[in-house]
Amino acid sequence: MIFPYCQHRHSSPDRQAPALKIRSLRVSYSSEDKFALKDFDISIPAGSATALVGPNGAGKSTLFKAVCGLLPVRNGSIEVFGRALGACHHRVVYLPQRSAIDWFFPISVLELVLMGRYVYLGWFKRPVKADVDLARQSLKEMNALDLAGRQISKLSGGQQQRVLIARALAQDADLLLLDEPLNAVDASTRETVANVLHKVKSQGKTVIVATHYYDQEEGRYDQAVYLKDGKKVDPEQGEDDSGHKDCDCR
Amino acid sequence: MHFLTDPLQYLFIQRAIMSAVIIGLLCACLGTFVVLRRMAVVGHALTHSALPGLVIAYLMGGNLMTGALAATVATAFGIGFLSRDESVYEDTMVGMVPNVMFAFGVLLISTSRSFRDLFSMLFGNILGITAGDLHFIIVIAVVSLFFILLFFKELKLFSVDPNYAQTIGMPVKLMHYGLLFFLSLTVVAGIQAIGTVLTNALLVIPVAAARILTDRLKFIIMLSCVFAVVSAIGGIYFSYYIGSSSGASIVMFAAVIFGIVWVYKFIRTSI
Repeated sequence: MIFPYCQHRHSSPDRQAPALKIRSLRVSYSSEDKFALKDFDISIPAGSATALVGPNGAGKSTLFKAVCGLLPVRNGSIEVFGRALGACHHRVVYLPQRSAIDWFFPISVLELVLMGRYVYLGWFKRPVKADVDLARQSLKEMNALDLAGRQISKLSGGQQQRVLIARALAQDADLLLLDEPLNAVDASTRETVANVLHKVKSQGKTVIVATHYYDQEEGRYDQAVYLKDGKKVDPEQGEDDSGHKDCDCR
Repeated sequence: MHFLTDPLQYLFIQRAIMSAVIIGLLCACLGTFVVLRRMAVVGHALTHSALPGLVIAYLMGGNLMTGALAATVATAFGIGFLSRDESVYEDTMVGMVPNVMFAFGVLLISTSRSFRDLFSMLFGNILGITAGDLHFIIVIAVVSLFFILLFFKELKLFSVDPNYAQTIGMPVKLMHYGLLFFLSLTVVAGIQAIGTVLTNALLVIPVAAARILTDRLKFIIMLSCVFAVVSAIGGIYFSYYIGSSSGASIVMFAAVIFGIVWVYKFIRTSI
């Protein structure tokens, strides 16, 4: 018997529905009156790769946090694979920026990747051999199997990113939300991440990546969504009075 | 050998050693998460906030441990409640609330003419532990250790990546308050042995010493338990033969172990 972590029963995704459909979304942080996302609409087809482009503070991380339930929705609606928010939360994985994780906590890489299986285990159940095998397989896909026994405190920035993506793969999610995965990583990690994202997409999964490097990776995405000050913007109109583009990503 | 066995002929020494070992194990296990989650200052806050509960219970003729428990739990939840709107940082509340509670305790003592037991409340009196106190400590230890064992994997995830824990539906606020509640219980168990002021030291020092020697979580817990138990027993024997304060002796033993471990690590990395 499984005792899941929340009251929601896991619902199967509606394969015909968009991976993510957002209507008139307004989100704010509890300590602020200002909306971090304002009247935001978006529809991301299942199986696509989307770049979320915008300067710091544009609302990229806020959007991800709202989609995975970390921030309350003030207005509007979010549907994931045609289901209400929370019903498919086991099929969504959010990779925060690396700074959100305590890398000094004394656990091994394999233990961290195994945490991707917790959503299926729920309370009281421990990971079994099948979970360990899946975690190791995920590490292998990220060219990081040799790191399995290493403490997470001893990883470089690029290795940390690979390990986090391995945890996302171990969760076997259908919608991956990656927050600046290519920020401050070496060229080899960037290549590995790009290859894995391509592979994940070819498996029918949906990938949304918040990135500052869109100009270098344009060919890897099916579409790009531009954000500025919590709103979706047309990149051609993102110029200020002096003629300089505000969005630093193009 | 008589040096070791002589004290054991006394029932109060047997009780003291049993309670010290149990409290040591409890402090080491829970203290691991307290230290690794950087909550040592919260433990410090809770130990100080127990004083008014103890004093009120004493003045009303009630159970001291119940009074201490009520005060520490109220402080733990009060800090969370007062800092919930983020206009006042949680660490500010951690710095403020316990000092107010401690001052309130001292105020109560200073206005009461019949109060004579302040020293043992502040610094413990493990040699005065009764059978009832021992049973109380055992119950707290069993319940708290069961909590850690049952939710070990959740405590790990909640400590490493609370955002991810929340996205998979884990009630992280409940986990946080649960940890604070069991921390309050541990503090109350430790008060009788080493007092309100020194209990936090037993939560923090053995784990800090173990963390120097290993970066594996399970080994940190095991080593912390060994260090805490050695400190507890060593402190009681020292206190018995020298006639010193038992709580202070236990904490000093823990500090000496930390010092030895630190020097060992320093020499090892320097060579």
